[in-house]
Amino acid sequence: MSRLKVLMLGWEFPPVINGGLGIACLGMAKAMSKHVDLSIILPKTDPDFRVNNVELIGLNHVEIDEFKAIDSSFEYSTFEDVEFIESEILPYKYDERTRTVTNEISKKGETRQVYQESRIEDLDLFKSPELYGDDVIYKVIQYAKYAAKLALKKEFDVIHAHDWMTFLAGVEIQKQSGKPLAVHVHSLSYDRSGADSRGWVYDVEKYGMEQANMVIPVSHYTGKICRDHYGINESKITAVHNGADPVKVYHQEKTFPDKLVLFLGRVTLQKGPEIFLEIASKVIAKNKHVRFVMAGTGDKLKRIIESGAFNHVGDKFHFTGFLNKEKVNRLLSMADVYCMPSVSEPFGLSALEAAQFGIPAVISKQSGVAEVLHGALKADYWDVELMAQHILDVIEDEKLNKEVVDAGFEDLKQLNWENAAEKLVPIFEAHCK
Amino acid sequence: MTAICIYFQAHQPNRLKPYTFFELGSDHFYEDDVLNAEVLNKVSEKCYLPANAMMLDLIKRHGKKFKFALSLSGVFLEQLENHRPDVLESFKKLAKTGCVEFLSETYYHSLSYVFSKGEFDRQVEMHRKKIKEHFGQEPTIFRNTELIYYNEMAQHLEGLGFKGVLAEGVEWHLNGRTPNQLYKAPNADKIKVLLKNFKLSDDMAFRFSDHNWPEHPLSVEKYSSWISDSEGEVVNLFMDYETLGEHQWADSGIFDFWNKLPEAAFEKGLSFKTPSEIVDELKVKDTYDVHEPTSWADTERDLSAWNGNTMQIEALDKIYGLEKAIHQSSNKDLIHVWSKLQTSDHFYYMSTKFKDDGAVHSYFSPYDSPYNGYIYFMNALSDLEICLDVEGIEVY
Repeated sequence: MSRLKVLMLGWEFPPVINGGLGIACLGMAKAMSKHVDLSIILPKTDPDFRVNNVELIGLNHVEIDEFKAIDSSFEYSTFEDVEFIESEILPYKYDERTRTVTNEISKKGETRQVYQESRIEDLDLFKSPELYGDDVIYKVIQYAKYAAKLALKKEFDVIHAHDWMTFLAGVEIQKQSGKPLAVHVHSLSYDRSGADSRGWVYDVEKYGMEQANMVIPVSHYTGKICRDHYGINESKITAVHNGADPVKVYHQEKTFPDKLVLFLGRVTLQKGPEIFLEIASKVIAKNKHVRFVMAGTGDKLKRIIESGAFNHVGDKFHFTGFLNKEKVNRLLSMADVYCMPSVSEPFGLSALEAAQFGIPAVISKQSGVAEVLHGALKADYWDVELMAQHILDVIEDEKLNKEVVDAGFEDLKQLNWENAAEKLVPIFEAHCK
Repeated sequence: MTAICIYFQAHQPNRLKPYTFFELGSDHFYEDDVLNAEVLNKVSEKCYLPANAMMLDLIKRHGKKFKFALSLSGVFLEQLENHRPDVLESFKKLAKTGCVEFLSETYYHSLSYVFSKGEFDRQVEMHRKKIKEHFGQEPTIFRNTELIYYNEMAQHLEGLGFKGVLAEGVEWHLNGRTPNQLYKAPNADKIKVLLKNFKLSDDMAFRFSDHNWPEHPLSVEKYSSWISDSEGEVVNLFMDYETLGEHQWADSGIFDFWNKLPEAAFEKGLSFKTPSEIVDELKVKDTYDVHEPTSWADTERDLSAWNGNTMQIEALDKIYGLEKAIHQSSNKDLIHVWSKLQTSDHFYYMSTKFKDDGAVHSYFSPYDSPYNGYIYFMNALSDLEICLDVEGIEVY
């Protein structure tokens, strides 16, 4: 089989990142580029950021004239083999600013534009610094339209869309090109907003996975949620675990005598910050020479700060707010234990980073990374007692500590993007025969 | 003849810098020196220097018939010593006129009375020495941080030998009675209680430059007539000294107003008296019975400006919880650092009140949120605990 051409649709991508999604997409792109020809359409790129052998297209850098040229050059005849163009995808109607997409397909031979006229104000959306924001849904819809236009000029064998922000674009391109669509599931509404969450995002996720030819969750844990919670046919789900790029590891002496337990991540329901506080309170009650640091910010932060004060642990439980990579690494270089009590964590890349720093991890069973970090100490996220006991054990028992750290190093050997790409590419190939 | 008894409070806290987790154990200096010097300089130019000059002139002009009381916190005096000796000098000039009475307070402008009597006594004594050193006076009248007052305190102060104490005239404790007379506590017979006339005081402190206030712009004649029309023997006007030029800017006419006020008052037959003159000359008329702490802060006039949420409660608990360990260290620097963390402003910045009171809290706060105020404070406190731990002293 000749080298596969993959059109990737991404949302976050370095240096424009918010969470782990951008990091994962970059790692995957680098590894995949060794096996396939790869183009990535993103809402935003930084022209100074390049990846070898990968074409990065940022909607923020595409000129309006280029789209206008596409508007005028593609005619109905181009699509005559396409049986049906789903031009009014249901969720598009959500935003009243969205104008109805032309849905008349004229007779063969006539030249009619199928796509809505390109507008400069739509493209300006992608020049704002915020990737999400209040108008994220509007951005997602515009992304779908303009990515689909760009796709008209591209040659590719398979579409590879990452998370709900790009699912609409993926389906749109799938319909217009007839090429197979793989949706990569890094995180679901289920994880971010709880099992009961419903709404536009949930609908897009479900719709995207239903339409897709392949569903690639980042863990078996997430695969089960796709199946059980979204009703996706199990036969098209194949989990591919993330890798972890080697990070520059260093160690730094703490400037205080106490042990340090680290929480890294958004302070939102999904990450279990309240559970972390409860764990901390239990540990401090038994060993007052332990400090806890919560690095990150989110909608639960104020509440956790107040609860920490209520629990009377404010002098042992510290908040840093959002930290840049350098500061995060500094924390990792000092920490004695990494704790990830996530309520629902599709993967949990930061636990692998901690493992690289040789930090023993205490993680929730409701995480993807629990499937691959075999030596990590695990508990159900709600089992605060056991989590606290794990932390005390790993702090106080040197032998156990070493076992957990060594097992982490062993697991890391398997966890690279090369292995992920080698699993992923054959899945694509099977659909392109 | 109704007397006007004026007391001005001058205080500047040592605001903390954004002291983060990463400084823990390595940086033992918590204060924002640059900001504190900046604020001190700004307020010195806008308020302390012009106000002192005006007051000195008023005293000279009116042949010592114009008099008032000042209370300067110990931490404020330290800041003047270190950064603005010229301003300190101008306060000393006022002291030399004999028309300015200096009051007693806690050196660190703290809430110590509520949390530790021992610490309170230590700070009152430190403050007494400082006032004596700079102004040659032995204070006999006490005013607690932000006019915090309740029955129990009156008795304690009487035991320390004070003959008078200043308090907020809280409407729901006065129960329709006037604040314009001397009161006593039910449990202390010797010490006399001067109550703030909150209406006339707050006209100056909060409403003077408010264009939506129906009385704006206020004339000295009208204000003097309000005072002379008041029932009672003494109208206690208690406010921040920073009202002159800082809280109320010069362009509001606040200096002109005060410049003309004494003359207008004399015309109405009013006189000016210091708190100790009032205590010596007037008789107690009634009992002011306050079981729980009151203050001049916020609508609630209680301690909720400093202990209204869990963050404030914990921060206060933790700082006073260190008292024993700190003294065990016998380390003067550590004790001073700990004491400065008691300054009420730190807890005031952590308030999560909203609407009008919340706006006043955030006006004074150097931080963008009460949560950051709490975080920086707790990090500093944690570092202090680490210092003690390293010295081998058991904390808590």
